[in-house]
Amino acid sequence: MRLSSVSFRYSRRGPWVLREVGLALEAGSVVEVTGRNGAGKSTLLRLLAGIVRPSRGSVTGRPRVVGYAPEVFPVEQPFTVAAYLAHLARARRVSPAAGTALAERLGASHLLDQPLGDLSKGSAQKVGLIQSLLAPPGLLILDEPFAGLDEQTRAELPEIIGEVASGGGTVVVSDHQNQLRSFPGAEHWLVADASVTVPDAERVRRTAAGNDRERASRELAEDDRERASREVGDGERARHAVIEVLVGMEEADEVEQKLRADGYLTRRPA
Amino acid sequence: MIALIRFKLAAYARSHRLLQPLTGLFIMMVIFYSTLVPPGKELPSYADSAGLLIIVFAWAARGLLDTEPPAQRLISATSAGGPRREVAAGLLAALAVNLGLAAIAVALPLLHGFAVTPPAGDVARGAGLHLLGLSAGTALGALTSRPILPSPATSMLTLFGGYLALLLASLTPAGAFAVPVMPWMRAANAGTLDEILLQVTAATLFWSAAGAAVYARLRRTRP
Repeated sequence: MRLSSVSFRYSRRGPWVLREVGLALEAGSVVEVTGRNGAGKSTLLRLLAGIVRPSRGSVTGRPRVVGYAPEVFPVEQPFTVAAYLAHLARARRVSPAAGTALAERLGASHLLDQPLGDLSKGSAQKVGLIQSLLAPPGLLILDEPFAGLDEQTRAELPEIIGEVASGGGTVVVSDHQNQLRSFPGAEHWLVADASVTVPDAERVRRTAAGNDRERASRELAEDDRERASREVGDGERARHAVIEVLVGMEEADEVEQKLRADGYLTRRPA
Repeated sequence: MIALIRFKLAAYARSHRLLQPLTGLFIMMVIFYSTLVPPGKELPSYADSAGLLIIVFAWAARGLLDTEPPAQRLISATSAGGPRREVAAGLLAALAVNLGLAAIAVALPLLHGFAVTPPAGDVARGAGLHLLGLSAGTALGALTSRPILPSPATSMLTLFGGYLALLLASLTPAGAFAVPVMPWMRAANAGTLDEILLQVTAATLFWSAAGAAVYARLRRTRP
């Protein structure tokens, strides 16, 4: 998925919320978006989710199934949790049982019969999360998902994010509290002054392990590690390393999938 | 998209917002049919009903589109596979509600209101005029809904002002090219409705489609 020269403003004479943003998202990547209040994080997330269209520029390669959880889940709706999730499951053409299973995983089964209007902030956030996961998302957008969550769900959420990424889904999380700072392989974007910046270290890692994946794969297939090291720029060479990881045969696929989901290159010796 | 339309209709029905236009409809029905309509005057009666109920149709459409909280519209858009489908589902749900209200307005006088049952042709013409009224009302309601006009006061003023402007515009010489409410009322009274029916239908559907298109265009930056 790629954003090319994307600019956005809400009205023709309004201020630019984002200007000339160019970004690439690899399948299976996890991105944490940070920035001060009002910087444009939610707008960036809405552009990624396809909820609004860019005023200029384009967004291409968006996966077909997009899961989106807003910053504040709208509880002022005349449904119970179960009825609400059943409606949205039908809208996504999946079985209503998907909602029940996710509720069980997030410790929200006891909420199913409650009216949405009676939910606490944390419980409402859980319902927001559940609806975003009803169909396995190719792109999962979570706007401040950690706010108000209990400890159990707070610990469960990174696992869910990891699973979506392992399955080839892209996850973008707006995270004011920086809860994903230690998430393995997560990219970090900073939204400020109507632009999105990727810190240098991230850009280098992405260049080496993501954007030039095809080229580097070819090189590694030739088993020419020296050449691979020589091909990357001077600033990147110091950060490039080959690590050999030994795992049991039964775990090999899973570990490789996880590493790839985190944006790393892997290969198996013949 | 049908599932999303059903979701919007269920939310609207459960929110009790339907009671407002329904009350308005029944008040108008009482006013129209408190005395029996004499034989031969059924079509003019239908024509008046279709023109005056535009405001009720607009009110119902606005109420339905305002039922979903703003953040839910974002969720619905991603669930349905894109904002265009969410916008279309909202308009179709509003049309469905207004079809129900129009059916009541057409059927009620057949049960009580007309002194004698009118010919099937007049009932069909009456139903057709109500379809025109509900399409214009739905577009007006959509243009005054919360994503377009967030202030409730501005929205209500625009809704009633817009309807008044629509009536006044149809009184002018260019009325046949605006939403021709007055021309269809006059023609029905004069017994010449068939002569202008095609023109009236084309003009009303054009303006309704134009209103819906403007609504959809504005929603691109007003999710």
